[in-house]
Amino acid sequence: MSLVIRKSTVDILCAAKWFARRDCRALSSVPEKADIVEEVKERVPGRKPRAHNPLLEYRHVYPEFLPDPNPKWRNSLREKMERADMLKRRSQIDIPEFYVGSIVAVTISDPHAQGKTNRFVGICIDRKGSGLRAEFILRNVIDHQGVEVRYELYDPTIQSIQVLRLEKRLDDKLYYLRDALPEYCTFPLDMDPEILPEGTPVPLNPVQVKLKPRPWLERWERQELKGVSNIEEHLKEKDRVRRELRKTPWEKYDLMKQYRKTIPAEDQSEIWNEVYNQLQQMRVSRKKMSRKRTFASPKTQLA
Amino acid sequence: MGGLWDSPVPWTPSASRSIGLTKKPGVPSSSFGGRHGIVYASYRDALTRTSRNSYLSPLSPIDNITTRSHFSQPRFRPPYWYLPKERVMSDELLTQENKDFLNEVKQDKLIQQSALVSPLAKNEPQELVQWNPSTRRVGLIARKIGNYPLWSKDGKKFQTTLLQIVDNHVIKYIPPEEFKPMKTSKVVWKEKRKLGCLLVGSETIDPSTVTKEYCGLFNSVGMLPKKHLCRFMVSPHAALPTGTPLFATHFRVGDHVDIRAKTIDRGFQGVMKRWGFKGMPASHGVTKTHRRPGNIGAGGEKARVWPGTKMPGHMGNRWRTLRGVKILRINTKHNILWMLGVGIPGETGAMCYLFDTVLPLKKLNTPPPFPTHPPVEDLPIEYHDESVHLFDEPTITFEES
Repeated sequence: MSLVIRKSTVDILCAAKWFARRDCRALSSVPEKADIVEEVKERVPGRKPRAHNPLLEYRHVYPEFLPDPNPKWRNSLREKMERADMLKRRSQIDIPEFYVGSIVAVTISDPHAQGKTNRFVGICIDRKGSGLRAEFILRNVIDHQGVEVRYELYDPTIQSIQVLRLEKRLDDKLYYLRDALPEYCTFPLDMDPEILPEGTPVPLNPVQVKLKPRPWLERWERQELKGVSNIEEHLKEKDRVRRELRKTPWEKYDLMKQYRKTIPAEDQSEIWNEVYNQLQQMRVSRKKMSRKRTFASPKTQLA
Repeated sequence: MGGLWDSPVPWTPSASRSIGLTKKPGVPSSSFGGRHGIVYASYRDALTRTSRNSYLSPLSPIDNITTRSHFSQPRFRPPYWYLPKERVMSDELLTQENKDFLNEVKQDKLIQQSALVSPLAKNEPQELVQWNPSTRRVGLIARKIGNYPLWSKDGKKFQTTLLQIVDNHVIKYIPPEEFKPMKTSKVVWKEKRKLGCLLVGSETIDPSTVTKEYCGLFNSVGMLPKKHLCRFMVSPHAALPTGTPLFATHFRVGDHVDIRAKTIDRGFQGVMKRWGFKGMPASHGVTKTHRRPGNIGAGGEKARVWPGTKMPGHMGNRWRTLRGVKILRINTKHNILWMLGVGIPGETGAMCYLFDTVLPLKKLNTPPPFPTHPPVEDLPIEYHDESVHLFDEPTITFEES
């Protein structure tokens, strides 16, 4: 560079970018193209980014701690008593984190069963209810017969809930598995738990399920399902027309509808502040217990 | 105040207000303190003795529980002596200093009232002596706060309703000689047992939000005004002094209670929802008649529509008593009762009145806390029935026989 020309730092940097790119391009196999220099994205003036309470993430892990948003049934004292009872139950049994789409094994004490216990393995197709009424439905195909069992999370006859495979699916409810090919719901009853390394995010299973030919139990084509692959094959022209007519594209703009279905962030923060301490302690103590158990096993083998 | 009140009936607020329901526009609230001061839906209801605290003969071994076979229309116009409770709040042009001063006065009065020691704390020995099976004792004013499930020790789930006893205090006792409720011409039964009237109030409110006449009732006994008032007919030896606080421990776990409350106001309803008519088929050629009542009378000599024919009309917002509700669990810290079942009339947040059961097989056999449970410091926080499984206990398992 023989000429010393006064240029602003920005210009020099931009120029430097060009030089750097030319150097890289010498190594890459991609043919040269005219590059567009990316501009620095400017911050939108006006709103400050709100401090995001990390405890709010608990609403996905423990959704039943949030009460029903219907204001007719809300009462803060009753919700507190309910949460206290829920925590007491959780101190007796480990209710693990699982989502719709995870494979879960539940053992209950049944007075009419052999050995007085009954174990069922299945994929969780739905999780609903709030508070002590929280329930989940497990589906499996046993001997070519689809079986669904609904369990209450806080039922004191449940001896253990074991998550065999922790994963999420593309949809919130998997009722379409009833009309899907049986291979998507069949899980062996003696399946081994698949342990994920600590700290990994919950994996999302992007599987797209194939449905059996019609008749179906519900009009799956009218529900915007992402986890189904072959709906279009089974539709007639009439169904497509009716689906277009029944669509409600204005719903996504309905803010009040969304608001009425959720608990506001301030109330949620209060709930989680009340509850997360104990939940953390329980989680930590359970991990310690499981570690102690792994240490104990070699001794018995030697003996 | 004397001129407006012709009878010495202690003023009871309008039923709907005392229940705390939000009124639907255009639907008047019913039963403004009917005869005998007990809130009846109509004078005909008073005759048929549906209220728990009616005068009952001591000679009959079983207390009569009469049911209304004839539907009676609720009367919405209040009686002549009715006075409003809520004040029209206008913008009082007070200076900030004066407003602060008033707030200070209110706070002081509130603190003074809450610092009052219950008169029962002193007297100990006399309690259990005087109770006998025909004694009537006080009830409680409770608020419905919600439902949630509980499980029994066998693993069976049942729904429970939570009732909270908020700040109940005894306001006044009127002995039977002085108690003269408003009489009408249609008195049927003869009063043989003398019962006194105990006024109980719940939820202290700001005196500046209510009228002077309403406050006057409380000022005469030295209490701050309460949001809800209820009259309980009690035996004279079950009388309590003014200012006695009432707690949830007044009832014990396993006791049965009668709950009197106003049902949910469902508005104008058709005949299928209101009376349970079956309606007509949805198809098969049925023209324009799917939820209608159909025939409303028969022919013959009396070929007319009989009075009381079931037709569409206003449903709900009526006083109903649910008998024999069992108490499963008591929390003494927040004064909450867990009741078995969800059929308690009223919405969540509505008030209800609790009495000892009148049902012969579920009545009190053993002496209860009489006349009421005194305020004790070191009570266990929770009492529960033996059949209820507490969540602290380990998982229910069944043993092989």
